[in-house]
Amino acid sequence: MKRVFLLIFLLLCGASLGLYLTQPDRGSPVPVLYWITQDDPVKRETIARFEQWLKDNNLPLCEVRIDNVNQDPTKKLAQGLAGVGADIMDIYNTQTEQFAISGMLMDVTEAAQEMGFGPEKTYPALYSDLVVNGRQYGYPRNAAAPVMWINRDAFARHGLSEPDYMWTWDDFERIGKAYVEATNPPGTRQRSYFTQTLSAIQMRRSLGLSIFNETMTRSILDDPRNTEVMRRLYRWTTELRLIPTLAEQNAMSADAAREGDAVFYLFQHGRYATLCMARYALIRIRPLGKMNLRVVLPPTAEFPNMEFACGIISGYTKTKYPEHVHRFLQFLTSEPFNRLVAESGDSLPPVPEYVHTPDFLRPPDHPEEWEAQDVFSTAAATYGIASCRSPFIPLDMIIRPGTGIDTAICDSVVAGRIAPEDAGRIEAARINEVIQLNIAHDEELRAEYERLIKVQEKIDELRAAGKKIPLSWITNPFHREYYKAKGWVEEDQ
Amino acid sequence: MKTTARSKGLLAGLLFLLPNILGFLAFTLVPLAMSFGMAFTNWDFLKHNMFRDVPLHFMGIDNFLRLLRSADFWLYLGNTFYLMLGLPFAMAGSLVAALLLSRVERGRRLILPAMIAATVVLIASALGMVWLGASARAMWMLFALLFASVLVAGVFSGGTLYRTLFYLPNFTAGVATFVLWKKLYNPDTGPINVGLGWLLDGVASAINAMPAVFAHGVPVVCALLIATLSIWHWRRLRRLWDDSEAGVAAIIGGGVSLAVAAFFLLSWEGMGGLYAWSGAAVVLLVWVLSLARRPRPWGKPKATDKGLGTEVAVGMVLIPLFMLLAAGIVAGPGLPAAAAVGIPAPDWLADYNWAKPALMIMMLWAAIGSNNMILYLAGLSNIPPELYEAADMDGASSTQRFWNITWPQLAPVTFFIAIMSVIGGLQGGFEMARAMTQGGPAGSTTTLAYFIYSEGFQNGSMGYASAAAWILFLLVFVLSVFNFRYGNRHVND
Repeated sequence: MKRVFLLIFLLLCGASLGLYLTQPDRGSPVPVLYWITQDDPVKRETIARFEQWLKDNNLPLCEVRIDNVNQDPTKKLAQGLAGVGADIMDIYNTQTEQFAISGMLMDVTEAAQEMGFGPEKTYPALYSDLVVNGRQYGYPRNAAAPVMWINRDAFARHGLSEPDYMWTWDDFERIGKAYVEATNPPGTRQRSYFTQTLSAIQMRRSLGLSIFNETMTRSILDDPRNTEVMRRLYRWTTELRLIPTLAEQNAMSADAAREGDAVFYLFQHGRYATLCMARYALIRIRPLGKMNLRVVLPPTAEFPNMEFACGIISGYTKTKYPEHVHRFLQFLTSEPFNRLVAESGDSLPPVPEYVHTPDFLRPPDHPEEWEAQDVFSTAAATYGIASCRSPFIPLDMIIRPGTGIDTAICDSVVAGRIAPEDAGRIEAARINEVIQLNIAHDEELRAEYERLIKVQEKIDELRAAGKKIPLSWITNPFHREYYKAKGWVEEDQ
Repeated sequence: MKTTARSKGLLAGLLFLLPNILGFLAFTLVPLAMSFGMAFTNWDFLKHNMFRDVPLHFMGIDNFLRLLRSADFWLYLGNTFYLMLGLPFAMAGSLVAALLLSRVERGRRLILPAMIAATVVLIASALGMVWLGASARAMWMLFALLFASVLVAGVFSGGTLYRTLFYLPNFTAGVATFVLWKKLYNPDTGPINVGLGWLLDGVASAINAMPAVFAHGVPVVCALLIATLSIWHWRRLRRLWDDSEAGVAAIIGGGVSLAVAAFFLLSWEGMGGLYAWSGAAVVLLVWVLSLARRPRPWGKPKATDKGLGTEVAVGMVLIPLFMLLAAGIVAGPGLPAAAAVGIPAPDWLADYNWAKPALMIMMLWAAIGSNNMILYLAGLSNIPPELYEAADMDGASSTQRFWNITWPQLAPVTFFIAIMSVIGGLQGGFEMARAMTQGGPAGSTTTLAYFIYSEGFQNGSMGYASAAAWILFLLVFVLSVFNFRYGNRHVND
């Protein structure tokens, strides 16, 4: 018995040693960085250009390997907080502060200033996507502002007029209704829609409403303007069937080989006349063949706007190779990387000057996109507004697909489970309840909350008196832009 | 000397057990204890983790109170129970499958001809798909030919093939089956809707051809069926009361099914709400009072709860049947109008009202050929054949053989399956919802398990999620105790 036990013990020890010796990075002569991202040709080319860039600049070499099986945010968080995160990882804009406040992201503030990849090196509107509580946690790999893609052939096939560059909600309803009626014969199951989705956040902003108040201390969705947005969404989704529900989108994508692919095939075949998506749609549209495309702004009620956000690349705070991570972030500001973003059809290059290069504006193999590229080069900078991130509730908790507070409420409204009139009240109550819970036992956060509440009171007083508000009092990026446009603020020191 | 040998043996045994014990302690007992403790704190893994030093706060029972106040929690608890309504049908399906398989002759060793036949049929299926352009019709043909190949192969190879096929869902990876079912449920190209489309077209034609009065008769037929089932149940309960086979608790429990039937009948023609609830309460009251005055020749049963378990089980079968018939009452009047434009097949996963039944159907498919079937097969093989021989000599019919021998002899197996199914039902639904619906539409497929995951791993609120997990445990515990107390677990019961 003892021998059997000893034998098993030795076998296990041997197996553990074998596993240790065959770890992938033991076979590499240079440090290996693991990068959680999609495994696609653009990412592989990014790595190739990074390694070439290191050689060209006589910098210490390292190897970057893609880890595409841990992209789920919960996996990234769980692994990171357990001490086994990947060295670098893609973080989507809704998750930045969630990851940052957990402490698992590398603080690169000083390195960024030293090596030239600070927030000033990208679009000013993206500041809040990179910086949490005054510290920088990464650098953008691209910047995205959703527009409306128009399949011109789909409109032409049915003799319908296309939307203008700037169009209203009423235009959306009129053209959309005509398209859905023309493409779905009566008495048959509906197969074509006008668009795949519209953003409730963009719609609210177009009525001058944000999720939060000016200091982001409270949700103000219990506002009649939100009811109007919910009514429109219900009408367009459930009554007029211009937009499929989330569940219908999921069901329609069941046949696609890759998650998210179906929407492009459906767009190509006119089952969606328009597509609400950023420039990165080109990565999937190009392989489908030449399409006759146009790009216009999302429909608006009063205040034209686009949601402007970026996906960032961050380092893991416990990485063994912080200097190589810094170097990778520095590479994101380089010409080879920005040209790759411009050429590949990904979203906007992180360094703004590259959107005015021929690589971006006039891709030689795609003259059919030139008109659209012109729009991309100006629209985001003109109408783009960053996400509103309250320090008191993670944005992801509000707009996460599926279970986010806003997502779930919008879904319930279009499913007829919550009346549009009640939606805002319920939503604001939920968000404000979480805010109160979050500040209840966090003294630092509560002190900041109380400070901002006092500022908010002063803002409310000035607003009630019809006076201008000092711009520095406002932390909500939407209100900053909206109030500036309305002339309700004054620049201060 | 003997003592030393025993000690050594004990030591060796403990050493062998040590890995398992350590694993149990590290991965089960310690996390369990921690989760219990954390349920009373504000544990948020974004703030309380290896990278941050924010102190935990004891919250008392705040997390539990917040849960009980949350409308979402009750909705998800309701969803969980709703999905569990399929359990009795799944158990019945497993039993039927086991009964059928126990009758099929086993072990005819003609595997080679079976494989050849199956290969020929599969090639024919593939060619058929190519010929039909892999359309929905081709999918149907593939299914038909596969079914034929199973029958042909079964003829050659005997029951072993059928046993393997029935058990197939159990050893197929969950996510793979969910993706498959998502394709089956596709509203446009899924074979279920294609098949249903033909069927519903036929039904629509038939309704159109009939005088309107026939279609309007559907609600009447459904209402009559509810009434008939209720009368049968009423008489059955009265007989049990007269024979002192049911205690007061069982009679009240059984009366709930009658009240539900009354509720559905009174909800007809828009007479729902308070009227239906009051009517249901009156029926329950009348039922209890009428029996209370009824003499019992055999005296009172010793226990007031005698037969309660049986009535709960009967209710779990009757109530879903009532719900189906009530759906017929609601949908019936709309049939002629719907038939005029063609009755649409359900939008399975995208429709709030169909998403749960869609998941239940899939669960039923998976459960019929699960371990439950294997347990029933084992149970059937353990029934002494002399019981059947005696019954044959007495001239018992096959129905009598089943109800008087097979069913009572399987009581311990059924009891075990019921316990495990209830536990599995309460804890389940996560993978399915995550892979197929993301808990939507509008939270209609979010179960408690999914809610716990979402709160814990997406929002980081581990304390709150732990509280929900312990409420789930409490439910499992209470239902298991109920099952142990009232379940029919002895052969001679």
